[in-house]
Parts: sequence; C-alpha cells; structure tokens
Amino acid sequence: MEAMSENKMVPSEFSTGPVEKAAKPLPFKDPNFVHSGHGGAVAGKKNRTWKNLKQILASERALPWQLNDPNYFSIDAPPSFKPAKKYSDVSGLLANYTDPQSKLRFSTIEEFSYIRRLPSDVVTGYLALRKATSIVP
Amino acid sequence: MAANVFPFRDARAAPDPVLEAGPVAHGPLPVPLVLDNGSFQVRAGWACPGQDPGPEPRLQFRAVCARGRGGARGASGPQVGNALGSLEPLRWMLRSPFDRNVPVNLELQELLLDYSFQHLGVSSQGCVDHPIVLTEAVCNPLYSRQMMSELLFECYGIPKVAYGIDSLFSFYHNKPKNSMCSGLIISSGYQCTHVLPILEGRLDAKNCKRINLGGSQAAGYLQRLLQLKYPGHLAAITLSRMEEILHEHSYIAEDYVEELHKWRCPDYYENNVHKMQLPFSSKLLGSTLTSEEKQERRQQQLRRLQELNARRREEKLQLDQERLDRLLYVQELLEDGQMDQFHKALIELNMDSPEELQSYIQKLSIAVEQAKQKILQAEVNLEVDVVDSKPETPDLEQLEPSLEDVESMNDFDPLFSEETPGVEKPVTTVQLFVGTERIRAPEIIFQPSLIGEEQAGIAETLQYILDRYPKDIQEMLVQNVFLTGGNTMYPGMKARMEKELLEMRPFRSSFQVQLASNPVLDAWYGARDWALNHLDDNEVWITRKEYEEKGGEYLKEHCASNIYVPIRLPKQASRSSDAQASSKGSAAGGGGAGEQA
Repeated sequence: MEAMSENKMVPSEFSTGPVEKAAKPLPFKDPNFVHSGHGGAVAGKKNRTWKNLKQILASERALPWQLNDPNYFSIDAPPSFKPAKKYSDVSGLLANYTDPQSKLRFSTIEEFSYIRRLPSDVVTGYLALRKATSIVP
Repeated sequence: MAANVFPFRDARAAPDPVLEAGPVAHGPLPVPLVLDNGSFQVRAGWACPGQDPGPEPRLQFRAVCARGRGGARGASGPQVGNALGSLEPLRWMLRSPFDRNVPVNLELQELLLDYSFQHLGVSSQGCVDHPIVLTEAVCNPLYSRQMMSELLFECYGIPKVAYGIDSLFSFYHNKPKNSMCSGLIISSGYQCTHVLPILEGRLDAKNCKRINLGGSQAAGYLQRLLQLKYPGHLAAITLSRMEEILHEHSYIAEDYVEELHKWRCPDYYENNVHKMQLPFSSKLLGSTLTSEEKQERRQQQLRRLQELNARRREEKLQLDQERLDRLLYVQELLEDGQMDQFHKALIELNMDSPEELQSYIQKLSIAVEQAKQKILQAEVNLEVDVVDSKPETPDLEQLEPSLEDVESMNDFDPLFSEETPGVEKPVTTVQLFVGTERIRAPEIIFQPSLIGEEQAGIAETLQYILDRYPKDIQEMLVQNVFLTGGNTMYPGMKARMEKELLEMRPFRSSFQVQLASNPVLDAWYGARDWALNHLDDNEVWITRKEYEEKGGEYLKEHCASNIYVPIRLPKQASRSSDAQASSKGSAAGGGGAGEQA
C-alpha cells in the first residue's frame, strides 16, 4: 500500500489535487482534513486520544433522552434470572463437586487428582476464566 | 491409525490487487458503493445496476491495521487487512477502529476506507463521487455517527450516504417478496449478538436487546481453555488457530447436558475428539519450569549467595583480627619501652609514627566490631529465612550491600544459571486434544455464565423480549425467526434454536426458524439490493447539505435503519481551535461550536 502524505494539520498550502512529493497522496481525499474530536483543546499533534466506547456512552447518557427512546445502553440484555449450571473447569462436564482448597469444580475422581496436581498459575487461570477470582474467602 | 488428526492450515491472506473499477463504476449516474463495515471483516463493493444477481463483494478483508516492525517496513506506513498476510506475528500490534461493534477510532477507520476506495479503483479527483451505503451498529451512539459522517462528508466529499443495520439488510435479502413482514432477527456477530423484533417492516428499536458476546469471545475462551490444558505451548495456541477450530471443528449441541453425557463415555470421546496437530518445532520450549519451581530455584540461589557472603565475612574478620593483634603487640612494645624493636616493627608495617599506629589500630578495631555485628545479624536472618519461605525481595535488598563487599560475583554466575543445557526435553510433535471444547466454546452465547458474564443467554433474552408483547404479536413474531451473522454458522445452531423455542412457547403452538442463505455475506447483498432499489429515492439518503444543516448525527430512517432520535450534539471543537474548521459546516440550531468534554 503506498504511503500516504501527512494530511494532518499542515498549515502550508495544499491543493486538493495530487501533489508531486516523495509520498503520493490519495487523489480522492481532501488532504487538509482534520478529525475533530481529538482529545481536548489542549491536545497537540502528539496527543490524539480517541474516546473509547465507555467514554462515549458516558457522555451519551447525559443527553436528554426520553423514557422510551432506544439507545445503545438501553439495549443491553438484562441479567439472567435462572440459576447458572455448574460445569467442571477441567472437562466441561456437569460438576457436582467443588474442591475446597482451590475452588475449582470437577466431576470425577480422576479430575480431582488432576486438579490437586495443578500448579497455582493454572488454577488461577481457570478461576479467572469463570471470573471467580475473589479475594474474599 | 490416525483418526481425527487434523493439521492447522494457518492460512495467510493474499494481498488484494488494486482493482480497476471497470465499466461498472462509470455509468450515467454515479454508482453507489456498498460497505459492510464490520468489526471482524469489512466487505466492500460496487452496487452495479443490471441483472447481475450476485458477484461477491470485491473486497473482503479483516478490519485491522498494523504498522510493520523494523525500519524498512515501518516506513511505508500502516498496512491494512489482507496486505498484512498472516496476523499472528503482528498480533500485539494489530489495531482496529472498533470498540465492541462501534467504530471509535476514526483515524483507523479512515485507513480502512482509504484501503477500500483505493482497491476498488475509485478514481474521482478531490472527492469520492459515489453515494455510499454504510452499515452501523444497532442504536449507534450519536457521537459515533457524527464522527463517521464528518469523515465521509468532509474528508472524502461524498454526495450522499445512507446508514443501515447489517442484520436488517440480510433479513430483506432473504425475504424479497413481502416487504411488510414481521419477524425476530437473531444476529450473532464477532463482538455481540442482537435480538431484533421487526414489526410491519420497521425495527421495533425499544424492544431490541444486545448480548455482548460473539465470535471473538468464543475464540478467546477456547484459547484460554487450551492454554490452561497445555501450559507448555502457550505461543502455539494462537487466536487465528482458535478461529480455525471454531470455524471447522466446533458445533452447537442440541441439548447441551445430554451431549456432555455422551462425551463422558470413553468410546464416544475416542471417536469424536479432534486432535489438532501442531507443526513440528525443534526449538526447546522456553521455560519448562512452572512458576513455583522457578521460585524454588531463586530461593536456592539466594541461599547460596548468603552462605558465600557469610564465609567471606568470616575470613575477612579473621584476617583483620590477626592484623589487629599484631598491631596491638607492636603498641605494647612501645609502652614497654623497647624503642628499637618498636621502630623496626614500625618500618616493617610501613608506618611513620606511633600516632599513625594508634589511629590505624582504632580503625581496625571498629571494623572488627562491625564485622562481628554483621555476622550475628546474618545468622539471625538465615534462621528467619528457614521459617518463612515466601518473600524474595526483602532478601534481595539485604543482599545488595553485601554484594558490594564481594568483589567479583562473575565467577559464580555459571553456577547459578538455569540448567537448561543440561536438561534434555524430548521434542515430539504435539497434538492438542479438542474434545468437549468443541461444544463449550460456542455455547457461551446460550450460557454466558460459562465465562462469568451476568447477561442472559439468547434463549432467555428471546423469552424476555417476547413477553413484552401481547400474545397475538408473539405468535406473529415467532413464525419468522431469522438467524444471521457469522457466529451462527455452527452446525446444529438451527436445531438448537428450534429446541429452545419449543421449550418456551405454549404447548402445540407453531414456530419457524430460518437460517440466512449466506450468513456472512447476506448483509452486503441485502445492502446492495437496497441501494439499487432506492437509487432515486431522496427520502432515504442523507445529502451533504443536510449534513451541514442538521449535523453529523442526523439519520434518515428507512426500512433497514436505526430509529432516529432528534437530539442535537454540539459540534466537536477541532484540534487547532480556530474558527476555520468549525465554520466549515454552518452550525445552525442548538448551541454554536461548543467544546465537548
């Protein structure tokens, strides 16, 4: 892909047609175009921060929505009302038992011995996968 | 007997050629460009009028870009999509304009659009002279639409644009005859899954629901599962390979619990496990030690260092002590009055006067005292270490001053280096056994609790939405359940949806589930058909004039679009903060150019 010319804020004159330079600009663009909404007013050329989705949604919440208006955050699915089924962390089968030492779930005796031999980083990995890593015992 | 052994294909994308637009683009009216802007893939092509039913979109590429590593490749600027070839070496440098399913980084979006326009052969000067049909997220945030309109109108100078929802386009593509139909669309994409009820041809937006799980979360889950099962092969279990497993080796169980029971039985397991063969690699796996073994090793090294220091200190103490004794003896000579011997001794010691001798004795005795103190302290620490096995950093801090005493530690480094050259690890080709993972990974959209998400799964969300309608409308909606989106292409998806509907609908009521004919590309085909049908219709396109009057977040509704809520956003201040940029579009109505935090 050919290099694009620096079409961010260059105060010198540019014509909208192709310019003979070492880097060939794409002809169908406006080379003087500057994205607005880059960071704040203080942001210079280096500080181009785009808002991420959380920030955008936070500022969207502040707008004057009516009660029934659909918007991005009102569309989020509600949390589940049914109790979650417990599956073994190791094999995915239905887990009837939980290891009290590591809080991992297992379904057979072989899985239990496998769990007891696991190094601690793998154990935390399995718990993190279920988002069950809580420091409250 | 190598049953069910599959190699990884590890496909690389071929770079796209710069296509000639050809006669299609140069009709009497400007031909619309259709862009299905997805977080997984961007699909772009011309909407050619005529009886052409369906060439594929000319461009399909991953919506990522990365700056190449190294001076030479980095200089040519960021590469996009298929020009990157294989994604794995650049995995940490891939950047996407999307955050979930909304484009937030418009600079990268600009790169993707440049790539699309360039490779489609757009040749108009100074602006892109074609109307554009672009897909956006369901209930796209106004800010994001404003940014996107600004990019399209001001950077590319397009004449008019229409925004639509990809799943709606796909729905209309699959049901051309009755345009006024109702149904329930279940669209599962890369980042999220939507359930959209359609009433009388229009999206009922306030009853839509979105589950924030899709193909990328399934791939991430599968990757973590396999990495935890095979902790020695972290680097070989890449996301691209996970996507390959999901696309080709996974399926959705019709009854999850029953299927799991089947997998318990060893014969079934043997027959159905897919063994993925990792490519042969002869380099030693980086560190074969677990973190606990590494800790053990570090503690051993520390203990050795400490013992060494203690020994050296004792030796030094002994030497100093002897010297001190000698000096004291010489001093006694002086006190006893034996001047000749004293002077001889002084010369031997290389000293000039008794005062110097005195000061030297003093210094030495202080040093001896300190050394004794340190030895005592070190002994106490050693005892403490034996009892308490965890912290390493306090040991290191105490060792630091003592390390300065020891002249050259370099002699001892070979002793303490990792013993990898000694250990011979048998290098065999490894197979990853993918058993129940085949059904676990795609199951997360039905049971988000598998990965700890609190949201309800598809079935429960569907029930929640249906319950918001009266019974007759429920009946009508359920007759027309439509599945679309790349993440619905698992074998068994349709059967599973039918079973879930059977469970939640009243006894002996009917329902109908339909899968899109091409769940991945139907959105693009639908958008193209829509564009061709609505070329002359001015009610649906947002023109440049309307953009300037009503702002970037303006939306014109049509059969496949979001609902427009007329809230005016203040226009963003441009970075240069001079009036020039903000006066480009005459900011009418609402406040003037305000600054958005």
